This record gives sequence, C-alpha cells and structure tokens, in this order.
Amino acid sequence: VPMLQANPFQHRICHVFSTSDDGDDSMSFEDFLDMLSVFSDSATSDIKSHYAFRIFDFDDDGTLDKKDLEKLVNCLTGQGEESRLSSAEMEQLIQNILEESDIDKDGTINLSEFQHVVSRSPDFASSFKIVL
Amino acid sequence: MAAVTGSAAVKTAKSCKKYRTVKRHAGIYTYQEPPHSNSDEDISEEKAESHDPEQIFQNIQYQKEIISNIRCRPWPMRQKLRALRQAKEIVLKYEGRLTRTRGYQAAGAELWRKFIRLAYNFVVIFIPWEMRIKKIESHFGSGVASYFIFLRWLFGINIVLTIMTGAFVVLPELLAGAAFGTTDRKTIPEEHVASAQDLDTIWSLGGYLQYSVLFYGYYGRDRKIGKAGYRLPLAYFLVGMAVFAYSFIILLKKMAKNSRMSLASASDENYTFCWRLFCAWDYLIGNPEAAESKAAAIVNSIREAILEEQEKKKSKNLAVTISLRIIANILVLLSLAGSIYIIYFVVDRSQKLERTKKELTLWEKNEVSVVVSLITMIAPSAFELVAALEMYHPRTTLRFQLARVLVLYLGNLYSLIIALLDKVDSMSVTLSGHLLFQDSDVNHNATNFATYSTTKTPSKEDNLSTTIPDVHIKRNGIVTLEESRSQGMTVSDSLVNRTVSLNSNSQNPQDQCWETYVGQEMLKLSIIDMIFTVASILLIDFFRGLCVRYLSDCWCWDLESKFPEYGEFKIAENVLHLVYNQGMIWMGAFFSPCLPAFNVLKLIGLMYLRSWAVLTCNVPHQQVFRASRSNNFYLAMLLFMLFLCMLPTIFAIARYKPSLSCGPFSGQEKIYDIVSETIKSDFPTWFNTVITYISSPVVVLPALLLLFMLIYYLQSIARSLKFTNNQLRMKIQTERTEDKKKVVQMAVARIQNLDGNDKRPEQETDISQESSAWSSTPRKNGSVLNFESPVTKGTRIQTISQSVPQTVPSTDVARPINATPTTSTSLTPAPSASSVQKARNDHIANRYPSIVHKSASELCKTKPYTPVTFRKHTEDVHSEPLFRKGIRQVNPDALGAEAPVFVGCRPYATRYFLVNENETRKKSLRSTSRLQRHFRKEEPGGIIELYPRNIRRYVVRTPHQMYSPHPSEDEENEEELGREFTNRSHCPRSLSDLRPAPRFYIGEHGDGHILMSKDLARVHYKSWDDGFELDLDRPPYAYKKVHLNYPEPRVKPKSKQKLEQSLTESDSVSIESSSDPQNSGNDQYIQVIHSKEKYAKPGTKLSKKKTKPSVDLNMSEPNELVCSNV
Repeated sequence: VPMLQANPFQHRICHVFSTSDDGDDSMSFEDFLDMLSVFSDSATSDIKSHYAFRIFDFDDDGTLDKKDLEKLVNCLTGQGEESRLSSAEMEQLIQNILEESDIDKDGTINLSEFQHVVSRSPDFASSFKIVL
Repeated sequence: MAAVTGSAAVKTAKSCKKYRTVKRHAGIYTYQEPPHSNSDEDISEEKAESHDPEQIFQNIQYQKEIISNIRCRPWPMRQKLRALRQAKEIVLKYEGRLTRTRGYQAAGAELWRKFIRLAYNFVVIFIPWEMRIKKIESHFGSGVASYFIFLRWLFGINIVLTIMTGAFVVLPELLAGAAFGTTDRKTIPEEHVASAQDLDTIWSLGGYLQYSVLFYGYYGRDRKIGKAGYRLPLAYFLVGMAVFAYSFIILLKKMAKNSRMSLASASDENYTFCWRLFCAWDYLIGNPEAAESKAAAIVNSIREAILEEQEKKKSKNLAVTISLRIIANILVLLSLAGSIYIIYFVVDRSQKLERTKKELTLWEKNEVSVVVSLITMIAPSAFELVAALEMYHPRTTLRFQLARVLVLYLGNLYSLIIALLDKVDSMSVTLSGHLLFQDSDVNHNATNFATYSTTKTPSKEDNLSTTIPDVHIKRNGIVTLEESRSQGMTVSDSLVNRTVSLNSNSQNPQDQCWETYVGQEMLKLSIIDMIFTVASILLIDFFRGLCVRYLSDCWCWDLESKFPEYGEFKIAENVLHLVYNQGMIWMGAFFSPCLPAFNVLKLIGLMYLRSWAVLTCNVPHQQVFRASRSNNFYLAMLLFMLFLCMLPTIFAIARYKPSLSCGPFSGQEKIYDIVSETIKSDFPTWFNTVITYISSPVVVLPALLLLFMLIYYLQSIARSLKFTNNQLRMKIQTERTEDKKKVVQMAVARIQNLDGNDKRPEQETDISQESSAWSSTPRKNGSVLNFESPVTKGTRIQTISQSVPQTVPSTDVARPINATPTTSTSLTPAPSASSVQKARNDHIANRYPSIVHKSASELCKTKPYTPVTFRKHTEDVHSEPLFRKGIRQVNPDALGAEAPVFVGCRPYATRYFLVNENETRKKSLRSTSRLQRHFRKEEPGGIIELYPRNIRRYVVRTPHQMYSPHPSEDEENEEELGREFTNRSHCPRSLSDLRPAPRFYIGEHGDGHILMSKDLARVHYKSWDDGFELDLDRPPYAYKKVHLNYPEPRVKPKSKQKLEQSLTESDSVSIESSSDPQNSGNDQYIQVIHSKEKYAKPGTKLSKKKTKPSVDLNMSEPNELVCSNV
C-alpha cells in the first residue's frame, strides 16, 4: 500500500493492527482487513479516533504523555535538520497541546480527551483514511 | 524499581503481574470492549436460551442492533466476525430469512454509492490547478495557498459570468444580429478607417475594437433578431442584471458555508495545536514527494502556531507604540489623500489635454490608467513600511494593511469612475444640445442657436464649456472652439459649430456613445493593470531573485540575507489586488460584455505566472499566518467591493439616458424601460394588469413592511439563539469541571481497587493468623465494636481514641486489627461498591470501565469489598496495604510487642495523617495546575523536614522499647530509600533531613525483622508499582511526590501498629461515609486532635502548627481532589 509507505506512522500502524504474538508486527489477513476497515470511508469517526489514539500512543500505555507527543511531532516533522523543531519550540508546543486538550490536568491525554478534541476537528475524518 | 519488583515476594509479584497484564489488556486493546463484548455475548446467549416470546423478540432486536452497528465498535476483526456470526445466527434462527427484495435494494444502494464515489473521484481530477495549489500549500503554508484558492474561486465565478454574457448576448448578436458594416453603428466612421488598424488606435481600444462585440455600442437596437425572434435588448438588460445577482448569490452562499464551517469549531472551542498535531497527517498521501511536502507543511503550520503563541506573550512599551501608531495613521491618511488627489488631478489634466490638443501622444492617452495602476502598485508597499512602525500583532497588522489597501483601491476606483461619469454627464448634455440642434431646422438661424446655447450655458455652464468643444474636436478635428467655451459665444462661432455638426451629422452618433466609452475605459484599465502585474512580478520578483541568486557570490554583502533578499509573497496585497480586479470587471461588465471573458484569460495567466513566481523566486513569508482560509475575510471584502462597484453602474443605468445612436437601448428614455415595454407588448394583457397591481403602492408598501417584520423577527431569533448558545457553552464548561472531578475520582477508585485486591487475600490470612495466635480480651472487643458501629465520624474518632488509651497498657493491641478488617469489609461493601461502580459507570462510562469490571469481578468475588473512593486520602490507601502486610508478617514476632510502642507510634500515625493532609493542601493551594506543581518540588522537601523531627521526638520517648535492633539491614533499607529520595526530590535539604530519620528508626525498631522490613519495603514498592502501572494518566512527577510521602508509612509497619491500622481503617471509613471532602478533612482534624491530647504530648506542638494551616486550606476542593491522586 503506497499510502503506508509514505506514512510517517507506518510502523505504529503495523504495530497497532498486528495481533501476532511474536511481536514482529506482521499482519495476518484479518489484521489487514481490520486496518482497511478502520481507514475506510464508512468507519465512524469514533473508531477512527480510537485507532488514531493508539497509533499515536507510542509506548502503548493507554495515554499520550509528553514523550508520546514528542515522538509524534518528530515523526511528523521528519528527519531534516531544518524541519525539526528546536527543543524550546517542542516544549512550547507540547505545553500548549496539553493546555488545550488535557481536561483533567494530569499532564497526559487519555482516550476520551483525545476523542473530544479530535471529534471537533473539521477534517480529521476526511484525512484519516486510505483508499486503495 | 524493576529490581525491587523482581525480588519481591512471590505472592505480591504474582498479583502484581496479574494486574499489569490485566491493565495492559484492558487499557490498550479493549478500552471499550469488555463491557460490550462480555455483557453482550453473555446476555445474548442467555437470552437465546430463554423461550419467552417477548424475550425472543427483544433478543432479535438486540442482535439486529449489533449487526447494524458492529462497524462502530473498535474490536479486532476476528471478534467482530464472531459476534456478527453469532448475532446473525440468532436472528436467522428466530426470524427466518430476510426477504429477497430487501437484499436487492441493499445491493442497489451499494452500487449507487460506489458509482457516486467513482464519479466523485473522476471529478476531482478536473479540479483545476489542484496539484499546483497543493504544492504551493506544502511549501508556503495555508496563507499563500488561500490566495490561490481564492483566485481559483474567482476564476470559477468569471467563467460563469462569461458563459452568461457569451451565451445570451454575444453569441446571438454575432450569429443573428446585423453583420459588421451593415449599419451605421456597426461601421467605422470613414475618417477613422484609415487609422483603424494603427497600433495606437487599437491600443486605445478604438478602431475595429470599438466597433465590435466587445462594447455596448455594437449591439443592435432591433427588438427581435434572427428567425426565432430573440429579444436581444431585453436579454442584454437581463444578463447585465443577472451578472450582479449571480455574483451576490454565489458570494453570500460561499460566505454562509464558510461561516457554518467556522461555527462548527466555535470560536473559543479551539484546539489549534491539537488539530495541527493530531489531525495533521493526510493518510491519503501515497507519493513520497507529496509526503515530504506535507511534512514541510505540517512543520510550517506548527511553527505558525507557536509563533502566534509567542506573539501573544510579547509585551510592549505602550506610550511609544501609541505615538508611533498615531504617526503611522496620519501617514497613511496622507498617502491616501495624496493618491486620490493625484488621480483626480490626472483625470482633470487628461480632460484638459483632450480639449486643448488635437493629437494626443500615447502617454497622454493612457496617462490615467497608468497612474492609477502605479498608485495601486506602490501605495501598498508604502503602507507596509508604515505598518512596521505600528508594532501590532502580525495578524492585526495584516488586517490593518488590508483595510488600508482596500480603502486605497476604492478611492482610486471611485475617483476614476466619478471622473468618467462626469464626462458621461457632459456627453449626454452635449448630446441633448446636439439633439435640439438636429431637431431645429437647418434653416434655423445662427442667432437662434446662439440664443439657445447661451440660454443653456448659464445652467450647464461647465458641462457645455468642457464638452462642446471637446466633442467637436473629436468629431472633425478641424475646429477648435476655445472661444465657445467662454461666455462669449459669438454667432459666427455657433454658425461654424452648426455647420460642423451638420456636416458630421451622420457620423456624430457613433462618437457619442458614452456606454462604449465607459466600457473602453474599464477595459483599458484592466489591460494596463494586467501589464503592470506581469511587469511587477517579473521585475520585483523574478529579476530580483535572479540578481540575488547569482550576484550574491560576487557582492560585498550577502544579498540573500541582507538588503534585496528574495521577494516575499504578500498575501494581503495580492488578495486585494484580485478583489480590485474583480471590482473593475463588475463595474464594466454591463458596458463591455466581453470583460468577464477577458478577465478569465487574465486570471488564468495570473494563476500560472503567480504560481511559477512563487515557487521559483519567492520565499515563504517569514511570519506565516493563517490569514483567513476558511473565514470570510476575503469574501467580505469582495462583497463590499461588489456592492460598491454595483452602485455606479446602477446609478449610470438609472440616471443617464442611453445613447441615442448606439447600443440596444437607443431611443429609450431609460435603459430599464425595456422591461416594462416587453411586459406591455409581449405578454398577455392580464399579466400586464397583474404587474401594474403588483407595482402599485398598495402591494409594494405592505410587502416592504412584511420584509421589515421578517428581518426583525429573524434578527430576534438569531439573538435568542446566540443567547442559548452562550448558555450551552457555559454548561459545557461546568460539565467539564465536573468531568475533571470525576476523572480524578475514578483514578483514585482504581488505585483503591488494586490496593483492595492486594489486600484481600493477605488480610484474610492475616485475620486467621492473628486470631489463632492471639487471645482477645473482652475489653478490646468492646472497643472494637464501639469503633465500628458509630454513625458519625466524630463519635467514632472519639471512640477510637478512647479505645486506644485502654489498649495502651494491655499488650494485646493486635485485637482491634483483627476485628477491623472483617468489620470494615462487612461494613463498607454494600454502599461503597455500589456507589463507586455507579459513579464510574455513570460518568466515565467509556473510560476504562474494563478495570472496574475485571477487577471487581475477578478479584473481589469472594467479598464485595471494593475500596471506597477516597478522594483525599489516597495516601492512606496506599499506606494501608503496607500496614496490613506488615502486620501479617510481623504477627508471630509481634506477640511480645508492648504498649509503649503503640503509645509512641500512635501519635505518630495521627501525625502522619496530618502531615499528609498538610502536604496535599499546600500543594493543592499553590498548584492550580499540574504543570505548576511540577516546579514545586521544594514543597514536599520542606514537609519532609517535618517528618524527621516528629520521629526524633518519638525516638526520644520510645528508645526503651524492646525491639531488637537490626542495624545493618535496616540501615541499608533506609539508605536505599534515602537515595531514592535524593534521586526523586530536587531539594537537597530534604536529603540531609531525611538521613537522620532512618537512623532513628533503626534504633527504634530493631525488631529483628530484617526480612520483614525489607519485605515491607518491597511490598510498598510493589503496590506502588501497581499504582504506577495502573495510573498512567498521572505524570511521573506526581509519583515522585508520593514517594516523598512514603518513607513514613514504610517505617511504621516495623513498629507493628495494629492500632494504627485500625486508625487508618476507621479514618478511611469515615471518609467513605462522608461524601463531602471538606467534612472528611474536618473529621480528621478532630481525630488527630483527640489522639494527640491523649497520647503524644511532644507531638502536640507540631500537630497544632500543622492543623492551623490545614484548617485554613480547607477551601480548595477541586484541587485537593486532583492532588489526592498522589
């Protein structure tokens, strides 16, 4: 799937949808089906946001904490020197994100907070999909 | 920590693991699943068994529901399939096969959906310049892209306008109208034929161009043309109006759509950062290059947001900025006035020139347009310079800049159009004069005419003076009637005049076509504007870029970063330029039907040129702002422009008489007469009467009134909606704070669940052990009962405290504990369990309910002891397991424990509570948010200081206790802890203070339970770990703090205080029963004070000190809640 190739979260996506026990992120047919159904047009935004959350949750601990966010930003900005955010920028960014979305002020974003934020985004559902 | 867990006791390790796995499964894979899946399937199976028809029916409904919304559940595919299969089976079994037709219907619908999607995909290919815009967007951000999107949208509008005019006006005229040269108005006047093909003439849109479909004058006045009888004049008029109507409608529609979109994200419900991060990636991107540019775009937008945030925080010097702003505004006003004056001056001068000179040079002919274009080009840059003075927030700067430029453009257009209309006015006057002249017989004598003109002059002096000669010059180019302008209009002059006009009688009308003249001017302006745009792009952007790129190597300073640099793409000016351009089109479209077509070409050219220039020689604006991609700013400007541009046109149409000799409306009094005329002649009479009725005041006035009423009504509705909107928003906000509380509550409950699970088996063993090992005195039992039964906390506490003194002398202090676990379990379960679960289910239904279910079901099966939701006393909760464990293991050895131990430690325990309270309160008070608390690590340190002191006192009192010292092991333990401490606490003070404390303990509790203490420590950590794992919501630093608190509880177990445990238990019970956090806090006070009075004399000072602040701090509830997590 070319979309996966270009996606900065390709490893995360594989990891999230993989159900294999040996942890090599390989996907069975069912997993693949699963993935495509999540990325399909007809999936509800709830499902989409659920899986998006898991994709963004780099350490699989059920919340997005600072490290997750940092990794997320780094994934998005890519490897280039000039495109990478400076640590001050990163700090500010993460702080702002937490300010906006961390409803219970515990320093992390949990699933429901994430869904709350994402569900209000006008173009999340339309961009979180893959068309073969 | 890992090491600690690794070496932990088998039991705890097991339990720990279990939780962890539970957690992992629950937390990550099946956030919402377990309640659904388990319950669903269970229920369905259950129901499948039953045979009650009612139930079967319900079951079928239920299964259908599952089938229909199985897509909406985030289960893995296998599970979905299983559930689906099961559900279908059940449905089939009980309901029979679905009817065939429905299947076909569904298939048809599916097919249709697929087709629609295919068609949509197909259409997307044809969106013009999509790739180009995306590319630009990815490099230059959404702001620049918004310019191009706007341009594309304008292009679309112009296409439609072109089609409208082309299909209904131009084509019919070309196909069916009289051919070129057949009539007077369609032929070039003889004396102009020679020069008709000169570049000069064509440049000024004269010659052949003037007599073409480009302009109003060419269109015939025949009411019907062609075989089909196409009513061209009517069509011309209607199309002219339709152009405006369409523009208005499409603009308003677009604006409404935009505002709807922006409403979806209400102004203060704004998650800019989150969206930019979480919703940034377009998962559809499959092309590596596109991915790269998307990444670039994301970085750009994130930077944008950060910059904006920083910009907000900047503080400025007020006085200076205000004065600077005043100066800047004065400068802007001056330049605006200057530009208007210049335009006025130029127009005036050109008119004079036309009057005085026979042959105008190229420059003189195009002076006006050139000057106008120059001003439109230069002034914005000047404004930008001025704006730099003002030091506004960049977005405000942009707004100001846009507003100023808009005013400038409007000023330009208006001064131009006023000048033009002035001319038209004079023309029409001349025309009327001329008409009169024509009407008057040839044998009218000169005096006659002279009198006429003299009588005319007083009234229309200026016009006549300016125009008559003008016209004449133009007409024959022979006579200059300078003198006639002046009052002294001699007979001879007028005679000449007359002869001239007679001579040129046949040619006259064509020149007199003011509509054509206006159209010409507008087209000319548009062309020159285009030329200037191209030139400026090439010169300012391209050549500058070239120079900077290639000369920088051999220049004495860095061209790329210093003076010339690369050009920046100025969104504001460019957008306004587009608006201005469109305004010209609207203004001229009526008089020059091909203007939209020309504009289409212009926009296409502009699109390619601009995008090329942007990509090759512009750098992204250093401060990119999302000027207004979806908001209505551009559109509002455009609407404003449309309105203002429509005014002069409408005015001209309504005010001036159409030219006599040219155009579709010649011979009519007013242009719009064509409509009424058509109605009169071409519609049946009844329609005519209907129209007259409708247009009579009887109908119009009520209709107007109705309109006003409607407007008022809608407005009031809108106002009330706004009001409700605000209210709802407030509601949401309060909900959110509620939510916050609930989240905290739930987290606490979860911890407790775990602790409870931890405790459960151990406690039971505890009890059995203890009961077997120890004999209980009746007195104790009594006290214990006392302790459990009380309803109010205060009494309970008192009873406790009373029981304690009694116990002090007796050695069997363990009794209360024996009783307490059982009693607590028996007492607490029902209300607490139900309330906790209910609360969780209600409020945080989709937040990890799995934990509740699993833990509750699996682990607490035997006894419904679900730990109660202590809001404040998580610390207590944490400590509880410790004590229990300690107790359990100590039991055998603790038999010999003496009363003094309790005496010593009891106050300690109470104090512990106190300290904790204090700490939480302090924290809560000062830390309104997590982040802040982060920086307040010193605080705990300070508190820690207190601990040692307490402890020291005890030590002083209790050294004679008979615990066998275990120096080495304990020391190690303690020091380990201390190290932990140092690692975790940033305050060195705490370290130094802590160290002594452990030593005291060692001296104190040399129980000989090395293992035990170790175990305890481990256990502690374990439970701790559990907490950690389970409460990942919490930031690590929160844990650090918890740790700071911990050393104390950890120490306590060594002294084997059953009493303490009982105390904690009772405490917790009291808290449980009290729903109000404040109350519970107070209760604790009471308790503490009591105990202190009775036991800890040395401790009173401290405790008093502490109680005070804690009392004061009572008020901060929500924060406390948050803190209590810790």
